[in-house]
Amino acid sequence: MVRFENVAMRYGTGREVLRDVNFALEPGSFTFLTGPSGAGKTTLMKLVLMAEQPSRGVISIFGSDLAALKRSELPPLRRRIGVVFQEFRLLDHLSAFDNVALPLRLAGRRISDFRKDVEELLSWVGLGERLDDKPPTLSGGEQQRVAIARAVVAKPEILLADEPTGNVDPEIGERLIRLFVELNRFGTTVMIATHDRALIESTRARELRLVDGKVIEMRGLR
Amino acid sequence: MSVVENISFDSAGRILPREQGAISLDLVIAIMTFLAALALGGVMIAERSAQSWQAGLTGRLTVQVLPQGATPPEAEVRAAVQVLQSVSGVVAVSALSDADNLALVEPWLGRDAVVADLPFPRLIDVTLAPGATPDLEALATRLKEVAPHAVLDDHGRWIERLRSTADVVVLGALVILALIAIGTAASVAFATRAGLAAHREIVQLLHLMGAQDRFIARAFERHYFMAALAASAVGSALAAATFVAASGLDQFGLPAVSFLPPLALSLGELCWLLLVPATAACIAWATARLSVISALHQYY
Repeated sequence: MVRFENVAMRYGTGREVLRDVNFALEPGSFTFLTGPSGAGKTTLMKLVLMAEQPSRGVISIFGSDLAALKRSELPPLRRRIGVVFQEFRLLDHLSAFDNVALPLRLAGRRISDFRKDVEELLSWVGLGERLDDKPPTLSGGEQQRVAIARAVVAKPEILLADEPTGNVDPEIGERLIRLFVELNRFGTTVMIATHDRALIESTRARELRLVDGKVIEMRGLR
Repeated sequence: MSVVENISFDSAGRILPREQGAISLDLVIAIMTFLAALALGGVMIAERSAQSWQAGLTGRLTVQVLPQGATPPEAEVRAAVQVLQSVSGVVAVSALSDADNLALVEPWLGRDAVVADLPFPRLIDVTLAPGATPDLEALATRLKEVAPHAVLDDHGRWIERLRSTADVVVLGALVILALIAIGTAASVAFATRAGLAAHREIVQLLHLMGAQDRFIARAFERHYFMAALAASAVGSALAAATFVAASGLDQFGLPAVSFLPPLALSLGELCWLLLVPATAACIAWATARLSVISALHQYY
């Protein structure tokens, strides 16, 4: 599903943030990406999301070598990936409903087709009564649930989450990991970047650790 | 209709928040389109006036019998009229009276001008049959024989000067319109870039979520199309109101100058001003699209 071969990444003329990165995410796998702050976790997630181009190496996603794809061929691949950003990155001027519906709109679906799904999903994350509330009026935990609902609403094949428990209390963090495990059971490939050891220890999932820009397999495939 | 439908994108119509500073752009577009509509109206007035003058002078001749000191040129006028009436293609010959002369100079010299002592030529107005082309050289020679102080004028030089003046006015107005179009496009391009910078986070997020460039561009296109349409509608409406007001200047104690074309536009001509907001909106749409698409290419 995702394959990195000898991938390196540097920004501009700076030092290499990642070097000789080799790993693969198999379909239906659950992986933690760990490492100290500044180790390159976010950069690696950006590469998986096709937000950046590697300085060298080969990245294949959904069986396609990204270097061989035209720029216009990337958006359909990105739409197969759901992301929970570290800072949530909700659109403040849109309601909770419209934020969650965004991936479906980007996929070209009509509101009449997805309205019920979005309402149900928001109810499921406990925000059924706050459909028309805008993010600034929601608490941190509520915003995070909107962000998660947005990431999963289009049933992505890959779910990426960057430090998803960074801004929430342990109880919400625990609920969140249960949600990710549940999604993984239904076949979604999950990759979570975190340095939260408690979160990592709560599952028996695979752990890839970034050390000095290199990926080390800490715990094998489940 | 449920709450959800009320808050959907379809009814809200915006994926971008309302921009700060958008009023400045609206104002610029309104002013530019006001000027554009004035220029377009000016083109129509100049064109209409040139055609009207040309139509009034084509098919007519004027003979001036110049005064000779204090001697009234009546004999020469009568002789010239006789010659003119004998020319094939001439349908009417009319020697203008002193009263007619006074009426002619009134717009320049005023109603109460003292003109009795001025050496006015006697004018003979000649109307030709449609399509008639008398030999003007031979006619001028015959006139000279019977009226040595007669001068024949077929208005050709005057019509030509009128036409070229009108052409210069029209060309000038078209250049102004082109400059305004470029200015509008530049303003929208600048505003689009500023909008992209202001909404960088949103644009980047949409891009990362798999939005095609044209989806993002559409949000900007729509925004600037509607903004330009609304602002230019205001500008054009003000210009239309200006032309309507100009048609009623005499009601405000400002009588129209009779030798200048009327500044008013007819209803049909006013309708042409609708082209201004339509064009401005299209320019804004195209400029926003090109600006956004080119800016998005900085993203992988």
